[in-house]
Amino acid sequence: MKEKTAKPLLKVENLTVRFPVKRGGLFSKKSYLYAVDDISFEIARGETLAIVGESGSGKSTAALAVARLVKAHSGSVLLGDDDFLSLQDEALRQARAQVQFIFQDPYASLNPRLRAEAVVREPLDSLGTGDPSERQASIDALFKAVGLRPEQQRLFPHQFSGGQRQRIGVARALATRPELIICDEPVSALDVAVQAQILNLLRKLQKDFDLTYLFISHDLGVVQHMCDSVAVMYMGKIVEHADRLSLFNNPLHPYTKALLSAVPSVDKKRRQETKRILIPGDPPDPLSPPNGCRFANRCPAAQEQCSQSQPPLRQIAAGHTVACHLVSDNGIAPI
Amino acid sequence: MKPLLKVDNLRIELTTRDGVAPVIDDLSLQLNAGETLSFVGESGCGKSMTALALMGLLPEGVGRVASGQILFDGEDLTQASDARMREIRGNEISMIFQEPMTSLNPVYTIGEQIAEVLRRHQNLSRQAAWNKAIELLDAVRIPNPGARVSDYPHQMSGGQRQRVMIAIALACEPKILIADEPTTALDVTVQAQIFDLLRDLGRELGTATILITHDMGAVADMAERMIVMYAGRKAEAGPVEQIIEHPRHPYTKGLISCVPHLMATLTEERPELTEVPGIVPSLRDFGRDQCLFASRCDRADDKCKTSRPPEIEFENEQSSACWQAEQLR
Repeated sequence: MKEKTAKPLLKVENLTVRFPVKRGGLFSKKSYLYAVDDISFEIARGETLAIVGESGSGKSTAALAVARLVKAHSGSVLLGDDDFLSLQDEALRQARAQVQFIFQDPYASLNPRLRAEAVVREPLDSLGTGDPSERQASIDALFKAVGLRPEQQRLFPHQFSGGQRQRIGVARALATRPELIICDEPVSALDVAVQAQILNLLRKLQKDFDLTYLFISHDLGVVQHMCDSVAVMYMGKIVEHADRLSLFNNPLHPYTKALLSAVPSVDKKRRQETKRILIPGDPPDPLSPPNGCRFANRCPAAQEQCSQSQPPLRQIAAGHTVACHLVSDNGIAPI
Repeated sequence: MKPLLKVDNLRIELTTRDGVAPVIDDLSLQLNAGETLSFVGESGCGKSMTALALMGLLPEGVGRVASGQILFDGEDLTQASDARMREIRGNEISMIFQEPMTSLNPVYTIGEQIAEVLRRHQNLSRQAAWNKAIELLDAVRIPNPGARVSDYPHQMSGGQRQRVMIAIALACEPKILIADEPTTALDVTVQAQIFDLLRDLGRELGTATILITHDMGAVADMAERMIVMYAGRKAEAGPVEQIIEHPRHPYTKGLISCVPHLMATLTEERPELTEVPGIVPSLRDFGRDQCLFASRCDRADDKCKTSRPPEIEFENEQSSACWQAEQLR
């Protein structure tokens, strides 16, 4: 791993996203669902941070908030020196060119009435990057970079396969020469054999263009392959955050352990060594989260203190933080 | 021992705008009582179509069994009447579908939906069927079944709905359970719970399971034997552990190595994933006299493009339809 002395490209501090929820009658009090609850992380230039978690954990909402596609309630998203969340007008337009997004579903995220070249051209035109006369040349280069043929520029999205559509999505994200690309489950809608093509492409582009990825996924195999560090989310909170090797080889939080143990593997050795950690039941109601640890009601190691106070994120080793009362300071996991 | 299910040279044709295409082309397989067999492959390879054929649920007017036999306990299902198929379906062969969100009826309580199967197939009274439904909910480990039985599907989570589907499928203690991607819509921890449940219930009831999936990890976890399907044909078949260790078909090899798997110990090393270039051929190309995988295969030569490889059987019960199967190790 690279030395982390340089300033991080992206620094997210105390990000909170909440949604108003109507419950009960007309005059009942407005309540809020905290989809992302006070999370912080940073990504160094050229690296990949993966956020993993199950559905409802808030990982996608966090990604959308970082890109300002949903409104954050509080917190800051520092891109270099600027707080991306408070930029306005022209400064925002320029910053937007630096942060691009690859969406999950390539069938839904391309405008069916635009030709492939127009899809890729759109961010160039609307964010005004590059000389207009050179735009066609950069579209040609982008198509080449993502492995599409030049004559395919004239086709409409429905004429492409799922993998090719995702390539168009990648080309569109690259169009403005961004520094940060947020990939929200970029391969989960694709067939297994096609997933490998897109994952290899993303890794190659990262090297070629010195890109920084915020990678959202629920597939731990994919995450393991793509990331440099991982943040595990559960009910809007980061419960564990570590570099790739520490998290996968030495997970500390009971939830991380359970998550990893649930992944079926073709590796016989892993199947024999892994003890399945069962977490029965469902997460608690997100509208009224418990006072203590949010995982306590499903945690096989939970003790009394767990349901009384929320465990803070503590640093256990260099670059390894965990939010669990029961992990000892020298890094011994409760289970 | 006589196999519970024996499929011989099954050919299923779909009528499309471009003509008739064989979605299943000369498929043979056997399933023994209590065993778990897995169908693996990308979408569009005919896995689900095989399952629908076994259930007698091929799309009407579009799909038909063109030739071959499906022998279930000695009875040929391709010749069975609609009335007979209705008796078998849900009673002796039942199925769990991929989407637990859409496969339950939203306007009936889950209790009514489980009881319906029991009243139809086992002639239980309304009350007896209702009580049995509560027992079944308990068996699929839904907490507080007595109260949940009157819930509607929208009141349950995805994992719970899939448990209800399993309860419906297993209500009559079928001999065969077909699970068509039962966990793709679910989270991994829920998937693990559903797999545990299927494994335990299968063992208790002696049900044979056909698991349709594209996840090699799930296959390794659940099944004893597997069949890799490609473009409506059997590419490779045999015991799971052997195939994972020594695939004898380039497609199987590709399917295993194109996915980044979690290994026992992770290292700094991250080799490029093996790509299987291109995509599954379109229905128009099905049925050609060539290896249909040839266009995506890095070992393909002229022979592969001009004649269909026969199934070669090896001593260890593995079989592969590849001209170079013997050299592949």
